[in-house]
Amino acid sequence: MSGFLWTAGHLGWGIFALSVFTGLWLLLSDFCWRLTRIRITRFAATMAAGWIVGAALILLGCYIASR
Amino acid sequence: MILAAQIVILCLIAAAVLLGGFYFPYPSPLIRRWLPPRKRWPEMQIRGWLKSGKFQRAFLSHFYSDPERVAPPGNSMLAPADGLVTSADVRGGVRYLVIALSFWDMHVQRSPVAGKVISVESHGDGFMDGEGREFAFLREKTCPVQKRLVIATDAGLVAVRLITSLAARRIETWVNEGEEVTRGQRIGRILLGSTVVLELPATSKLLVRRGDRVWAGETWVAEGLTLP
Repeated sequence: MSGFLWTAGHLGWGIFALSVFTGLWLLLSDFCWRLTRIRITRFAATMAAGWIVGAALILLGCYIASR
Repeated sequence: MILAAQIVILCLIAAAVLLGGFYFPYPSPLIRRWLPPRKRWPEMQIRGWLKSGKFQRAFLSHFYSDPERVAPPGNSMLAPADGLVTSADVRGGVRYLVIALSFWDMHVQRSPVAGKVISVESHGDGFMDGEGREFAFLREKTCPVQKRLVIATDAGLVAVRLITSLAARRIETWVNEGEEVTRGQRIGRILLGSTVVLELPATSKLLVRRGDRVWAGETWVAEGLTLP
């Protein structure tokens, strides 16, 4: 877990990847929301599900790399 | 070194997200360029600018754009403006093809036919709220601010009315009485908003219907112009 947050004098790649992914996901969500005519609740649920899948993949990648 | 790079990247992303939040519900400058005009400048935002009198420069640049158009071959009449056909009713032997322009349409008008401009008249003393509602442009005194250009062709007369709306500022006409115009030639511009009405003989055959989208100088709207 310590390698996830901090490693060798810089931010851990796990928290860094998660932060970058979250920021880019927010920007992408805003962009897609403006281009689609989908209901906001449905759209929010879809984007939240996408974020959970992405975050899970990052956590899984960190777990495999740390083994 | 890695830490510095990480911090820079995170700061850039945070700045982008904060910028989006600052401009919300309107699009931030970062994504604006990739959005179509209607999404780039939502109507609510434009109405806000109309009240304040301050417009985003990029919007004005889009609004005043005047792209080249190539008139299709043939003798059919062309749409005088970009917009949506909202009416094509006949009154008193004249067919009025009403084209409503939106904030996102190109606002330069073009001649529907080749011919000679025989008059450029100014009418009206009050603004109207767009779309030629209830044929207000035909009424005396209460009609909206408008310019009516009459063009004589070998087969008869055609008139184009440029009408302002509440949002509109003024009308420019770029042709004068006695001047020859070609099909698709630029004839004027309505600044901020409105409606263009093409007056045709009732006998002419319409090629568009209510609800159709037309482009100035490119879309065929009618044919069979004959002397009444």
